[in-house]
Amino acid sequence: MKVFRILITLIVLGTFLLTAACAKTASPAAEEQAAVPTPEPVKLVMLTHWGEESMLKPMQALLDEYMAANPNVTIEYQSTSFDQLLTKITTAQAAGISPDIYHIYNLWVPDFVKGGMLAAPSDDVVAEIKGNYSEGSVGAVTAAGQVWGYPTEINTYQLLYNKKMFADAGITKVPETLDELKDAACKLTKKNADGTLVHTGMAVMPGWDSGVTHPFLSLLWSNNGQYLSPDLSKSLFNSPEGLAVLKLYSDLIKQGCIDPGLGGSYSDFTTGKSAMIIMANWVRAELQTSFVDGYENVGVAPIPHGPSGKSTTLQYNWLWAVDKSSKNVEEAWKLVKWLNTARGAGKASPMGEYLTTALGAIPSGLSDQKALSNTMSEYFMAAFLASTSTTMPEPILVGGQEIKTALQTNVEAAWYGQKTDEEALADAAKEADRILTENK
Amino acid sequence: MGTATNPNLTNLQPLGKPKRIRISHNALWGYIFIAPVALYLLVFSIGPILFSFWVSLHNWNMITPVADMESVGLKNFQYILGDDDVFRKALLNTFRFTILGVGTNTVLGLCGALLLNANIRFRTFWRTIFFLPIVTAPLALGMMWGTLLNKNFGLVNRILNAIGLPSQPFLSSPDQALYCIILIAVYQYVGYYIIVMTAGLQGIPEEYYDAAAVDGANWWQSFRHITLPLLRPVVLFLVVTNTIGALQVFDIVFATTTGGAETSGGGPAGATMVLVLHMYNNAFKFFKMGRASAMAMVLFAIIFIVTLVQMRLMRERA
Repeated sequence: MKVFRILITLIVLGTFLLTAACAKTASPAAEEQAAVPTPEPVKLVMLTHWGEESMLKPMQALLDEYMAANPNVTIEYQSTSFDQLLTKITTAQAAGISPDIYHIYNLWVPDFVKGGMLAAPSDDVVAEIKGNYSEGSVGAVTAAGQVWGYPTEINTYQLLYNKKMFADAGITKVPETLDELKDAACKLTKKNADGTLVHTGMAVMPGWDSGVTHPFLSLLWSNNGQYLSPDLSKSLFNSPEGLAVLKLYSDLIKQGCIDPGLGGSYSDFTTGKSAMIIMANWVRAELQTSFVDGYENVGVAPIPHGPSGKSTTLQYNWLWAVDKSSKNVEEAWKLVKWLNTARGAGKASPMGEYLTTALGAIPSGLSDQKALSNTMSEYFMAAFLASTSTTMPEPILVGGQEIKTALQTNVEAAWYGQKTDEEALADAAKEADRILTENK
Repeated sequence: MGTATNPNLTNLQPLGKPKRIRISHNALWGYIFIAPVALYLLVFSIGPILFSFWVSLHNWNMITPVADMESVGLKNFQYILGDDDVFRKALLNTFRFTILGVGTNTVLGLCGALLLNANIRFRTFWRTIFFLPIVTAPLALGMMWGTLLNKNFGLVNRILNAIGLPSQPFLSSPDQALYCIILIAVYQYVGYYIIVMTAGLQGIPEEYYDAAAVDGANWWQSFRHITLPLLRPVVLFLVVTNTIGALQVFDIVFATTTGGAETSGGGPAGATMVLVLHMYNNAFKFFKMGRASAMAMVLFAIIFIVTLVQMRLMRERA
């Protein structure tokens, strides 16, 4: 037993000495490696509404590139449809399982900020955003005096028209004024001998808040009207200018040149059921693949204006934001910054490349617009890019979505003859003012 | 000096051994078996109901922590019952949908069940046909009917035109849209009524009809005095469960009135807005979870009262 104890002691001692000796003879490189701490593994969850196959693959390629350069980072990319995005973010927030990074519509920012949901970017990120983006884009991602994320795509509205239908109807001039729009819409409406409809002059998109309010507001501003007061305390759309725009719609509906019951989607234009539509640039990808008369027959023109107005269009943005409850806020901003920073002098950022190739969208970054000028010179993109100089940003405020829905519901009530134009605008204004007061 | 007696003590029973609550072995096993379900109900039904009631008394956007909710008392109830025009419209539409939908389904279900209970050929085939829409996803049904009922390019209008009738706006008319949705709901659920009522009819002993026939009763008398009374429990079950379901209608309205991923339903011009859809919009679009919870509480109260009334009426008649 005694011999056994001595043997055990010798083995333990020997092992200790051997370990010490080996440690002494370790290479200087290994020593250096031991001094630099290995980065902790980080997992980031990212949520967007870019779920289609054509959008998923290029985004995954970018994320793979980032992960290859940062082996400690794993990115889980999640996507959902646009109509489910807000629900998914808010329910995930309530359940305490928020994604680290999300791509959001700027109208939601004030509510997210009010709820203390967003992580503010560092000063250098804010400085980069302020330096590389237009004033409108910076304003679109600012709430309560703070920039909350990198603006991504810019969307504006323009009058899209079917060149072939214009030629068939013998119309050579694209409407520039509200009166010309009215005339063209009726001339472009076509019916069979038995009275059944072939196509309408202009499409509208009932049932969809943005589809109703964004074209309405673009026409309102182009008619020298106002949406809300500059201090966002009162609605101003119930005005002679607003009434004139709503009356334009109502007259066209009464004359059968617009049919709100047609299909209710922008695909009414894509599939040739309507000759014109006021629509945003993000529809380009669908027009390229499935426009009934071929993409080359899609015309783009500024929003028609009223007698005392000039063509103005609504602009809204999307942005990358980071969730405040993320365990990896710093790493999340690092990834978002990489996505939005130019790859080198004169080069575009990964997001710039993605937005123009996968989405056909206009990137907000000025350096991206410059670096991708070849792509942006394509006639459709160029027309929308040019329109960014005459935009009014969609006001972002708490309760903004509710005001938008109130306006949509009342405009539709006028379209369907449930209310007069005057009643519809008065009711919408009353509801908007109530919401503004409630959220003051 | 006599001994003072505390009057409170006079009624006391003599202290004995404390009574032990005896639970039989079988009852204990019973409790063990129902415990998971009871726990499930507590966590996923009763808990959320109580939480929802608590939220209805607050202003909450779902984003701020629960502890920071601002208490507003009964303001949410005051608003939805007093000032919210959309809520009133949605409530009215929900009642219309429920009364017309459940009523039509009950009548058609009974007619269908009587037919299927008779000796007709290919009975199983017809049952399958009637039951098929039930197993179809409401979203798919909504899209299918949305296309069929399209004002300008839908098949139904083509058929109407072919037989010399004018086109109808259907889902694009604020006056017709809700009734179209009710018809779609009837199409989807009538098979369920038929199958359940057929099972009920087959449970009625044949001897009753034989006895009535011997007494000289005609078909109508047999139906009125034998079939209907004995089928009443089945009808009660169907009416109560489907009224509860119909008052919570959402999917079929959402699917039929949305024109794409971006649209939010309830159109045209809010003509098909129902309570749960309005609740959904308030909670997830407008960040008004307190208000949405107040609506849920009102709906809960309505369902509770309607169910009680229905059960009382059916029992009284029975």
